[in-house]
Amino acid sequence: MNLTYFLFFICIVVCTLIITYWAAKRSVTTNIFYTADGSLTGFQNGLAIAGDFISAASFLGIVGTIAFNGYDGFLYSIGFLVSYLVVLFLIAEPVHRLGKYSLGDVICSRFPGSSMRLMLAIGAFTISILYMIPQLVASGFLLRLLLNIDYSISVLVIGSLMTIYVMFGGMIATSWVQIVKTIVLMSGTFLLSLIVLSNYNWNIPAIITDVQAHSPLGEYFFHPGHLFDHTIELISLQLALILGTAGLPHILIRLFTVKNTFEVRRSLLSATWIIGTFYLMTLILGLGTIALIGYETLVATDSTGNLAAPLLAQAVGGDFLLAFISAVAFTTIVAVVAGLVISATTAFSHDIYHMVWKKGKSTEKEQLYAARWTALAIGLLSTIFALRLETMNVTFLVSMTFIVAASSIFPVLLFTIYWKKFNRTGVIAGMLSGLIVSLVLLVLGPHVMHPEHGLIGREAIIPLYNPGIIAIPLGFLGAFLGALASGNQSENEGDYPAFFRKAQSATRSRSDAS
Amino acid sequence: MEKGYEKIWREKRRFILTAVSFAFLFYFLLPVSLIYFPETMNRQSFIPGVTWAWAYAFLQIIMIWLLGWLYHLKAKKLDKLTEQMIQEE
Repeated sequence: MNLTYFLFFICIVVCTLIITYWAAKRSVTTNIFYTADGSLTGFQNGLAIAGDFISAASFLGIVGTIAFNGYDGFLYSIGFLVSYLVVLFLIAEPVHRLGKYSLGDVICSRFPGSSMRLMLAIGAFTISILYMIPQLVASGFLLRLLLNIDYSISVLVIGSLMTIYVMFGGMIATSWVQIVKTIVLMSGTFLLSLIVLSNYNWNIPAIITDVQAHSPLGEYFFHPGHLFDHTIELISLQLALILGTAGLPHILIRLFTVKNTFEVRRSLLSATWIIGTFYLMTLILGLGTIALIGYETLVATDSTGNLAAPLLAQAVGGDFLLAFISAVAFTTIVAVVAGLVISATTAFSHDIYHMVWKKGKSTEKEQLYAARWTALAIGLLSTIFALRLETMNVTFLVSMTFIVAASSIFPVLLFTIYWKKFNRTGVIAGMLSGLIVSLVLLVLGPHVMHPEHGLIGREAIIPLYNPGIIAIPLGFLGAFLGALASGNQSENEGDYPAFFRKAQSATRSRSDAS
Repeated sequence: MEKGYEKIWREKRRFILTAVSFAFLFYFLLPVSLIYFPETMNRQSFIPGVTWAWAYAFLQIIMIWLLGWLYHLKAKKLDKLTEQMIQEE
């Protein structure tokens, strides 16, 4: 590793550790540890949500996908963005009003009880871990490619950093690391886009001509249909993307970090502006990569396309810009995994340890203690898992996470908030059917069953790479039938109109309410 | 009081239902039209040099920003009404 790289990395590590030190001195109550005491402004939280959401897979993967597949790569990114409308319209405000620290709180505000909380905690925990492992594995490969560092060392460095941020700095450190990441990421991609455009004297038709000349797809580069040739796969993937975000615990718990619903809406609006602008810039980077570097060089360096943005940086700005973009990628990874650690930590230490095991009776000090140890344990365990998984391709787990979230947590949240006749049996049936169906479809699908490179060496029983179109309706159906099958149970489930009013129109701020 | 809340919620629900249905329809019409009308989608759109497929994809982003902003305005107004109602109580 040369000195420029080293300086950039040290700079990021030192800056984020200073943030963590500053946050650690403030994280003295559970409210501050889990939600930063609702102290973020809407715009800050919007930056943090974008930081939580844009993974290295989005940054590097989408640029590569656009460079390889043209239109379809861009189409893929739009699905992610539309999902924020579902969160904003249907889920965000009720979740903010009903929950204190976790999604378990939201469901238990209507259906109190240990089994409900346990169910939600297991769901949130599973989703966060399922998402974290592939991110860690990918980060190991990425740093190896970018910096020539050993896979194990990369995973260990990122695993330790994420654990330190969350264990000591809780939500404050996580939020500010994510905010810094978004600012660095947006400036990096903006700078790179400007350089690409200026290379062509701001003449976009010239870029398009060059892209067509350098891509094997030629003029068809700008036509749809290169990535998704199956209708069902395409619709299925889009369905999981658009509904998945509304069930992702690490995004939803960010809604607790602002003080009222006005700021919740501002958070999500800022997030859509930032993420939308970001995807527009990745389009420029994807086109720029093909136009300036060409398909052959890109494939020869890395066949997955993940190195498109770094290669482009090197081509237009030399080693210095490459070092900067690599540092951006590094920040992107640590910010996302830190968000996942805190989400898994909240599900375990608040829901399972404090509310279920200790029946809500542990003291403030014990809770903080438990939260910090949980963060350490989760960090350690996922790092160990990621180290062991070096030889396995686990990237499909990322799209699986969206399917699991959209088929388990999303239906349960939606029905709890809006359906008068929904009940406890419905919650359990919905969560279980979503989780089980997604996992079964994964095992029976081509990611696991494949004659050549599958864990099970035979033809897949369900030949869908994206089984969302089956899993999501079944998750909803499970919740619906579960609620119907238990008959009139809903009549004994408390006062729905009062719950609904609290979910929809309590305008008090979080601090007043608690 | 109850009636006031109900009225506000009814107005909000109308907005949300319309906006969500519109967003879903607008969004899923893109992949559907790519699959069923590939030729039309590859023809030049109202912007010179840009095909319908690309124009529609860019419109998605604008649609998201616009709907989010409209909802923000609406919700701000309804929150103010609720606040007034609470104070009058």
